[in-house]
Amino acid sequence: MIKTALLSGTCIALMASAAGAEIKVGFIGSLSSDTGLSTLRGAEIAVEELNANGGVMGEQITLVSADTGQDPTEGIRAYEYLAETEEVDFIISGSIDDVSLGWLPRMQEYRIPTLDTWTSYIGIIDMVVEDPDSMAPYFMNIASDEALATLYINFGADVLKEKMGWDSVVILAEDTAFGEAITGLVTEALAPVAGIEVKEIITYDVATVDFAPIFSRAQDTGADFIYQVSSVNSQVVSSQYVKLQVPMAMTGVNVAALGMEYWEDTGGAGGGISTLSPVPSVGFRLDPASQEFVDTYQAKYDSRPLLPHFNGFNAYHGLKQAMAAAEEAGGFDNVEGWAEAMKKQDLVLELDGQLWLRYAFWGDDEVEPVTGRTYPHNIRFDLSEPFDDAAPSMVVVQWYEDGTAAVVYPEKYATGEFTLPSWVKQ
Amino acid sequence: MLQILIQGLLLSGLYALIAMGFTLIFSIGRVLNLAYGAYLMVGGYMYFWVSQTLGMPKLMGVAVAALLGVLMGVLKYRLIVKTLKGDHVAVEISTLILAVVIQAGIVLVFGDSSKILLPIVPGVINVAGASVTYNILIATLISWAILLGLYAFVRLTHTGRAMQAVSMDAKGAAISGIDPDRINLITWGISGALGALGGVFFASYTQLSPSMWVAPLIISVAVVIVGGIGSIIGTLVVAHIVGFLEVIVVATLAPELRGVFTMLLIIGVLVTRPQGLFGREEL
Repeated sequence: MIKTALLSGTCIALMASAAGAEIKVGFIGSLSSDTGLSTLRGAEIAVEELNANGGVMGEQITLVSADTGQDPTEGIRAYEYLAETEEVDFIISGSIDDVSLGWLPRMQEYRIPTLDTWTSYIGIIDMVVEDPDSMAPYFMNIASDEALATLYINFGADVLKEKMGWDSVVILAEDTAFGEAITGLVTEALAPVAGIEVKEIITYDVATVDFAPIFSRAQDTGADFIYQVSSVNSQVVSSQYVKLQVPMAMTGVNVAALGMEYWEDTGGAGGGISTLSPVPSVGFRLDPASQEFVDTYQAKYDSRPLLPHFNGFNAYHGLKQAMAAAEEAGGFDNVEGWAEAMKKQDLVLELDGQLWLRYAFWGDDEVEPVTGRTYPHNIRFDLSEPFDDAAPSMVVVQWYEDGTAAVVYPEKYATGEFTLPSWVKQ
Repeated sequence: MLQILIQGLLLSGLYALIAMGFTLIFSIGRVLNLAYGAYLMVGGYMYFWVSQTLGMPKLMGVAVAALLGVLMGVLKYRLIVKTLKGDHVAVEISTLILAVVIQAGIVLVFGDSSKILLPIVPGVINVAGASVTYNILIATLISWAILLGLYAFVRLTHTGRAMQAVSMDAKGAAISGIDPDRINLITWGISGALGALGGVFFASYTQLSPSMWVAPLIISVAVVIVGGIGSIIGTLVVAHIVGFLEVIVVATLAPELRGVFTMLLIIGVLVTRPQGLFGREEL
C-alpha cells in the first residue's frame, strides 16, 4: 500500500507540473530501500529543475516508477512495465546487481537508453566490450566493482599492511552476484599486490541472522582481520560484530554503512567498522554543486534517507546528462546517436580549486593505466594519486563508536583517521 | 570444540523457548498454529516500540510484549479456532493467512527495513575463545527458567494436570469434569506469551524484520516433527539437536548449509519414524 501510494504520489506530483509532457523517464529500483529512494529522489529533483528551465527540446519531462522490491524477477516485470505499458523514453536505475542482471536482456530487446546509478558489476561492462551494439543503450555512472576493488587493494597495501602491519585476512561474503564479484577481485589481488594472505573465504546466505558461529570460525582461521562483503541486511552482520565484540578488526564492503541511517539501523551498534564506498559518501566533503543538491534534497524530503546515497548524486547529475545527450542527438529514438552524445558528457566539479568529482565516461578504446583494460560506458574514475583526472573509484569510510563517520582513505579526501574498535587490540 | 558447545547450548536454549509455545498448542489442540511465528514478530516489535521508541524501561517492554502475546493467543482461539470447530485444515490455512496479514500490518506501521534491537542486557564475555553476549546468556537462562516453570506448572497444578488430561483425551477429560474449552483458552494464552517472549529474545539476538516470523516457525515445526507430539522435555531435547546441528554445520562445513541439515533431519524422521523420536507422550 505504501509502495502504491508512493508510486501514485510520484506520478501525480510530477505530472501535475508537466501537463502535456512528451518525454517520459522511468525509474526502476526498490521503492522501499534507501538505495532505490536515493536514485528516485535524485531523478525527481533533476526533472523538476529541468522542467523549471523549460524542459528538454521544448518538452516537459514526466517521471514514472516501477518497483523491483530488490528481486530479480520483479525487476524484469518492472522493466517490461516501463517499456510496454508506460512506453518510457529513458530509464534510470537504482537497482542492485542481481536485479540489473535480470532486466538487462529486456533492455537489449527494447533498446531503451538506460543509466544504472548503483549497479557496479564489471560483468556488465564486459558485456559492453564484447557486444557493443546490443549494449549501446546502457551506461553505468558508478565506478565498476573492479575499479572499486583495485583502489581498495591500495588501501590494503597502504593502511592495512603498511600502517597496521596485518598479513592475513578472512573474507566473510554473502552469497550474491555482488558478493561473488567483489570477493573474486579482492582475493586475486590482495596477496600479490598488498602482500596480505587470504586465509579463508566464508560464504553465507543473505538470510543469515546469527553470525556468532561464523565469527568464531573466522577467529579460528588466525587471520589478522575480517574483510566483509555485504549488500543485503548488512546492518545485521555489523551489529552482531559489535555486540559480540569480535576481537578482530572488520573492514570491507558494508552497504548499510553507506547511509546516514546506519547508526539508527544498527541500534547504535555499528561503531568501529569501515567500508569502502563509491563517491560521494557519508563523511565526504562536498563541492558547492553537490552541496546545493543536498540542500534541495533535504528541503524537499523529510523521510529516510535523509542524506542521499552516492547513487542519488549519480541520478541527479546523470539524468541531466542523459537529457543533454538527447538534445544533442535529437531525442532518444536514435539510440546510437544518443549513446555517442552521452559519451561526450563531461561535468567537472571542483572544491578548493581542484578537481573533486567528475561525471564523464571512458572512451570505447581508452585503456585505464592501472588495470590496463577498457571501461566503455562506465563513469570515468581515477585509481592513483593525486586524482586529478577524475574522482577516485572509492573512498574508505570509518564509522566511529560515537556514531560519527569520516572518510579515511585516500588521503586527499580524508576527513578522519582509520581506527580500531576499542575492544580490538593491535 | 568448546566454542561449538557454548554456542550450541546458547542457541538451543533460545530455540527451546521459541518451540515450546508451538508444541503446547499442537499437543493440546492438535493444531499446527502457523501464525505462531507472528507472535514472535509482534512480541519483538512491541518490545522495540515500548523500550526503544518510547524509551520506557526494558522490563516493561518485555511485559507488554508478553501481555500482547496472551491477548493474541486468546483472540485467535476465540475468533478463529473455536469458530472453525476442529476443522484442522481450515484452522491451519487461516492461521497462515493471519500471519501474512500481521506481516503486512507490521510493514505498514514500522516499515519493511530491518531494525536492530538494543541488547536487553548489554555486555559481552569471552568464554573459551567464544564471544558470549550477556543478552543471549540471559535469554538462555530465562528460557530454561520458563521451561522448568512450565514443567512444574503442568505437573504440579490442577490446571496443568487438566492440560495433560486434555492433551491425552479431550472427551475423556470433559467427562471427568474438565472444561476443555477453558483449558484450550489458557493454553493459547500461554502459547502466545511464550511466543512473544521468544520473539523479544530472538529479535535481540538477531534482528527485527517483517519476515522474521518464518525462521522461528520452521524451527518450531522441526521440533514438533522430529520430537513427536510432545513433552516439554522432548521439546528441550529436540531443540538442542536442531540448535547444535546448526552450529556444527556452520562451524565445520558451510554457513550456507545451516538450515539444510535440519530439513534433512525432518525428512529422515518423517520417513523412518513418523511418530517422531519421542513418539506420543503426555505433556
